[in-house]
Amino acid sequence: MTKRVDLFALSALPAVLYLLVIYAVPLLMLLTRSVTGAEGLTLAPYTAFLSDAFNWQIIANTLRVAGLVTLTCLVIGYPVAFALSWARGLAQAVLLLSIILPLSVGVVVKAFAWQIVLKRDGVVTAALMATGLFEEPPRLLFTETGLVLGAANVFLPFMILPIYSVAKLVDPRLTEAGATLGATPWKRFARITWPLTLPGVISGIAFTFSLSVSMYVIPSLLIGDRFQTLATLTGRSFLLMRNEALGSATAVLLLALAVAVVVGSTWFARRLGRAA
Amino acid sequence: MTAFLDIAGAEKGFGATRVLGGVDLAVARGEFVSLLGPSGCGKTTLLRIVAGLLRPDRGHVRLDGEDITRRPPHKRDVGVVFQSYALFPHLNVAENVAFGLRAQGTGKAESAAAVDRFLTLVQLGHLADRPVSALSGGQQQRVAVARALAVRPKLLLLDEPFSALDRKLREGMQIELRRLLRELGTTAIFVTHDQEEALTMSDRIAVMHGGAIEHLGTPEEVYSRPATPFALEFVGLSSRLPGRVVESMNGLLMVETPLGRLRAPGSFLPGSPVLLAVRPERIRVGGTGEGNAVLAPLTDVVFQGARVQMHFAGADGLPLLAEVSELPSGHLRPGAELPLHWAVRDMLVYPAPDRAAVA
Ligand SMILES: Nc1ncnc2c1ncn2[C@@H]1O[C@H](COP(=O)(O)OP(=O)(O)O)[C@@H](O)[C@H]1O
Ligand SMILES: [Mg+2]
Repeated sequence: MTKRVDLFALSALPAVLYLLVIYAVPLLMLLTRSVTGAEGLTLAPYTAFLSDAFNWQIIANTLRVAGLVTLTCLVIGYPVAFALSWARGLAQAVLLLSIILPLSVGVVVKAFAWQIVLKRDGVVTAALMATGLFEEPPRLLFTETGLVLGAANVFLPFMILPIYSVAKLVDPRLTEAGATLGATPWKRFARITWPLTLPGVISGIAFTFSLSVSMYVIPSLLIGDRFQTLATLTGRSFLLMRNEALGSATAVLLLALAVAVVVGSTWFARRLGRAA
Repeated sequence: MTAFLDIAGAEKGFGATRVLGGVDLAVARGEFVSLLGPSGCGKTTLLRIVAGLLRPDRGHVRLDGEDITRRPPHKRDVGVVFQSYALFPHLNVAENVAFGLRAQGTGKAESAAAVDRFLTLVQLGHLADRPVSALSGGQQQRVAVARALAVRPKLLLLDEPFSALDRKLREGMQIELRRLLRELGTTAIFVTHDQEEALTMSDRIAVMHGGAIEHLGTPEEVYSRPATPFALEFVGLSSRLPGRVVESMNGLLMVETPLGRLRAPGSFLPGSPVLLAVRPERIRVGGTGEGNAVLAPLTDVVFQGARVQMHFAGADGLPLLAEVSELPSGHLRPGAELPLHWAVRDMLVYPAPDRAAVA
């Protein structure tokens, strides 16, 4: 028995070493850098950053865009995940392929593609004009809406796949049982399907939120420098401004925010699930 | 009197395969009817049509005077105990039983009282707070029954509810379920492929075969006068032999068989190929008597506790089976020729099934 456990522990060693060298050590260096000033230990980079109202705007941008992207992915992705779990044979293969294949296209290529899609004479604008709801072509490229749409497209698979992996395990007899007990379709969803797929939803939210809170290339290409997030600011601090203290501080802040939101939403969702 | 549940001409196919071919079934209020048939004969399909989980291609379902053919399941008042139980894994025992009441808007206190009552009825009051995954198969089965009954459905459908339980437990549950439904006055349709279960529990049995009901009757009727060779073969044991009618007079037949000429009740044209059968407990071994008599060598004696099965080899290798409560005296070595006889009225006669006619 003990021998088996030892072997298990041993088999995790390569991964632990790898993460330690590649991830934990640089992270520690970053953290150290963010609290080291000319005269030793200091919190100056943080206080300086947080005392500027403009920087609070950046934090708000970061959270709002990541939140909207996550929400968009959830609203679009949840039904798709179910379609995927209901589909059979060829239909399922095609659906699955069309979700996974785009992952092999680089994010830069996709962002450029979205530039084409969103531009003033692009297909989205044309479609919106065709609805007759708009007087003049709405501006999408270089707006937050365009950014959210583009980012949601890139991160959608990370919402769909975890929900799908849970949805396909939910026994369809359960909603049928709910129906024979007198539950309306909406109640069946709220009291059976949703709580049972919640673990998938939580992982999906954790994935898409952490990806979109820290995205760098997509905002750079779809909205430009006018719009700053913690991630783009971190990049600029290191690459353009050569301000390592600021860059390290914003990087640590970003990490803390992302972890807090992911852990918080997980906790909240579990509570909701238990209450339902 | 119009029936409480009336299924008329229910048809259902999946793609090219026709699963139900025009089923008619009328069930009276408070009645317990079993659908008995082999796996794949369409029992579950028929049940799902009554529950509203499947729409029939043709036909009607009427319940308590209303046509519910197109009504969605949540508006039907028809409870279902699924073969796999389908308990909600994220809810505990009490929450599972409360589900239907809560979904229909019953207040907290009132549903708690009903949950208490039904958990007590199925003797699970002490497990109310357990997660359902912590229960044994038999306990899960009871939760499924309590959950379905707690909303007081007009009709309860049970799809092979005991098939996953071992024999001992199953027999106890059969009696318990029957008593519970009688106390509550619940009308029920019970699906099973186990003929003993159907015989023990039912007011009436519908023997199903290939998407049709072949015989609908009381257990007594289905056992003693099965309407078709299939029903005969599926319910209980019998010895069967092919024959050809040589004489037909006043509802009495003389049939030429490999065992010689046998007499049987019925009216067929002379020359018709028929299938004859007799139940094992109707055959008397040894002695003499009225009716049909043959002499056959004993091949085997199987002691079964209360009863003893005696196997004989008829002519042409046709097996004959007799069941007696005590062994006749005399030498009973295999090979011993013994006289067998049975009453004419105990002889069952059917038009020969196609394959026998060819042979
Ligand atoms: N959804 C379905 N699609 C295709 N064939 C089905 C479906 N449901 C049942 N069948 C077929 O219908 C026949 C009867 O099934 P069922 O009603 O489940 O039989 P039983 O419950 O008597 O075992 C079977 O041959 C089965 O394969
Ligand atoms: Mg079945």
